[in-house]
Amino acid sequence: MGQLIVNGLALGSIYALVALGLLLIFNTVQIVNFAQGQLLMLGAFIGISCAVTHELPVAAAWAITMVAMALVGIVFMVLVYFPLRGRPAFLVILTTIAMGIVLENLALIIWGPLPVSLPSPIHGPPLRFAGVVISMHQLFIFCTLAVILLLQFLLLTKTRFGILMQATAQDLHTARLVGISVNRTIAVAFAFGAVLSGIAGLLVAPIFLAEPTMGGSLGLKGFVVSVIGGFGNLPGAVIGGLFLGLIETFGARYISSNFRDAYAFIVMIAVLIAWPRGLFGEKSSEKV
Amino acid sequence: MTPEPIISARGVTRRFGGLVALDGVDLDVPPGIVQAIIGPNGSGKTTLLNALSGASHADAGSIRVGGQEIFRLKPHRIARLGLARTFQNIRIFDNLSVIENVKVAAACNSPTSLFNILTANVRHKLSESDIDRNAREALDIVGLVRRAEDRATQLPYAQQRLLEIARALASKPKVLLLDEPAAGMNMTESMTLLDTIAKLKSSGITILLVEHNVRLVMGISDRVTVLDFGKKIAEGTPSEVQRNPQVIEAYLGRRHRHA
Amino acid sequence: MKIWPILAACGAVALAVPAIAQDGYIIQLLNIAILNAIVVIGLNFVTGWTGQINFGQAAFYGLGAYTTAIATKAGLPWITTPFLSALVVMAASLMLGLPTMRLRTYYLAMTTIGFGEIIRLIIVHWEPVTGGTSGLRAIPGISIFGFGPQGQVQHYYLLIAILALAILIAARIRHSTLGRAMIATKDSEIAAEQSGVDTVRTKLLAFMIGAVYAGLAGCLYASSIRFISPDSFSSIQAILLMTMLIVGGMGSIFGCVIGALALTILPEALRFLGQWYLVLYGLGVIGVIVLAPGGLASLASLLPLRRASVN
Repeated sequence: MGQLIVNGLALGSIYALVALGLLLIFNTVQIVNFAQGQLLMLGAFIGISCAVTHELPVAAAWAITMVAMALVGIVFMVLVYFPLRGRPAFLVILTTIAMGIVLENLALIIWGPLPVSLPSPIHGPPLRFAGVVISMHQLFIFCTLAVILLLQFLLLTKTRFGILMQATAQDLHTARLVGISVNRTIAVAFAFGAVLSGIAGLLVAPIFLAEPTMGGSLGLKGFVVSVIGGFGNLPGAVIGGLFLGLIETFGARYISSNFRDAYAFIVMIAVLIAWPRGLFGEKSSEKV
Repeated sequence: MTPEPIISARGVTRRFGGLVALDGVDLDVPPGIVQAIIGPNGSGKTTLLNALSGASHADAGSIRVGGQEIFRLKPHRIARLGLARTFQNIRIFDNLSVIENVKVAAACNSPTSLFNILTANVRHKLSESDIDRNAREALDIVGLVRRAEDRATQLPYAQQRLLEIARALASKPKVLLLDEPAAGMNMTESMTLLDTIAKLKSSGITILLVEHNVRLVMGISDRVTVLDFGKKIAEGTPSEVQRNPQVIEAYLGRRHRHA
Repeated sequence: MKIWPILAACGAVALAVPAIAQDGYIIQLLNIAILNAIVVIGLNFVTGWTGQINFGQAAFYGLGAYTTAIATKAGLPWITTPFLSALVVMAASLMLGLPTMRLRTYYLAMTTIGFGEIIRLIIVHWEPVTGGTSGLRAIPGISIFGFGPQGQVQHYYLLIAILALAILIAARIRHSTLGRAMIATKDSEIAAEQSGVDTVRTKLLAFMIGAVYAGLAGCLYASSIRFISPDSFSSIQAILLMTMLIVGGMGSIFGCVIGALALTILPEALRFLGQWYLVLYGLGVIGVIVLAPGGLASLASLLPLRRASVN
């Protein structure tokens, strides 16, 4: 029981990270990036290329991956976001999905279809108490989520960038009129969003192995979390992520592991039927 | 004896977060007249119109149209009860032709089933020809019959506003709500619009209009209601309202504060 | 009425194809393309006209196919299967549609993706009935009181006739009160409501009609291809169907057919590209969305315009 909770929370932390990346982009430009899972996969493989193929220290692999992902985020913005500004949401959805297909198949061409493992940045004997085993990597996942959550909270509420981002989200034109460099703000949001999914990829790879097709289902889980938590809601994303991790772990143990991937969607549909804007409400207002 | 009002609203209240946009507004509109709602920017005119038409429901109050309570009814139910409207920012159907735009509303009270459509039976053909006739009549009133087959987006701005009026008329409403119908129109276009409104009034339709341009309103309105900060501050004939010191304060005072 | 010569030309080409292409493989591919076209015309009701995103269309396709396969393998006469398939997808579309038709874009996209995934998981894991990942083979063919098409070419003509019917019905709905209400709902939901359109009912009807198109195409797929597996109805397929709609041209029945034909045949024609095909496919979709938002159908309509400006 206790072990399931720990495993569920570790999985949930990763979902929460994917959702936090989505949130950053959504809060700035009201776009949901359906290729977030593929960005995660890309992060994992860049890490593997550095740490496994080129035998760099894992810490260096992490640093390189984060820089590379920031660049990927900006390229992504230029390719996908700029040409589609002001177009209907479902075209944006389809464009990001298409981008995901491109990334996934490029990864298949570059890295091949076989699953690869990435070492965890920290090593050591697992902690044990009361029969519950917490591996060092799980502990590392919890710490990473906590640090990122704190950083993101400070970033959004205490820094100039956070204020710029909110202004951009609320009214792009006014933001531009009062002299905010809208494009730079959006670029930063895309870069951070990509870095967060890259980190999630680096954290997933040591547990589940990395393969080019891993992104699809992890990305979808990120959206499920966003939907449960209400798009753009910071506490909602974290609580939703942990909640989903627990549901999946317990569902797989006590109901059926075959339907592991279905629980997320069943919970999401149930939440939407009861609360059409997510458990914690969507953080955007609609003009009538 | 005054006739039974066609619109009778009591204590209509609407809040947006902490802001009270409408604060217990009462409104009675006698049938067959042109009544205007005026007020400075942000006084709650459009919010009141949205509450009446069901586009954005009021939080509290009672609204009766022709004696029937419509508070919190879905907008399409309200439309079918005989209350049609136009929008301040034009909302025509871009992917339909001019006549099809009007037909959407003309079909308001002729229900059709999928079965009738698929079999193209007599009932379907009758209802389609009814709809077509109603739609053309409505286009005729605003003078757009000649453009019936064009795409709605091909019409110039002022004619798109007229198209919205035709669409509203096609549902054969008892009451027509016009939200700033003259916005963006030049002098000649506004004059044509006033003629159309007069024509509608003489055909027996009650018209409630929200307008920013007070001068335009005074000439055609039988009664004027003045809102300020979500409250009704005056009501009466145009000349009564124009002499009302509170109204003058609301308009002039605001202008001073802005300056 | 200058649309008639074009339609007649398309019909003539469609009828002449088997005479030119003797190859059974090509005819088989065309049969799948025709079935996809029917599914995409169904999707067009929901997404093209009513403006509701729907990634559940592949699941409805699959539900129809599996219903037919399971029913005929259990010994039910073929003639019952179109009705059974239609009933199953109608029930499923109501189950999914009733609670979700009020949801906005992203939520609707996610719910329909989730629905597709749940259906896929059930198909994959309910092995005794569905055959699991290896699918169902040797499905009985189309047979109406002992009569049925024999061979690829006869199937082709039958499917072409059904496609023509599907187009006719779609065109009739488009020019009815329901069709106008659908497009009004897409263009401005609030204006449609205030014009007396019950937008929730309209969306639900569009959704159900679309599902029935997919379910019937699935029924025909199972009994004319005679082999089905979960892969043919996965979320990848759902995305592909949406792509066919957008590449062909949303809202245009003609575009649906073009999109389905192009994106069914292209991957086979470009098979030598291997993995690179999917990379190009993704980039191509982005290209069409960015450069030709009206899809291939809108490019076709540019041609007469250009001619007019020359004259």
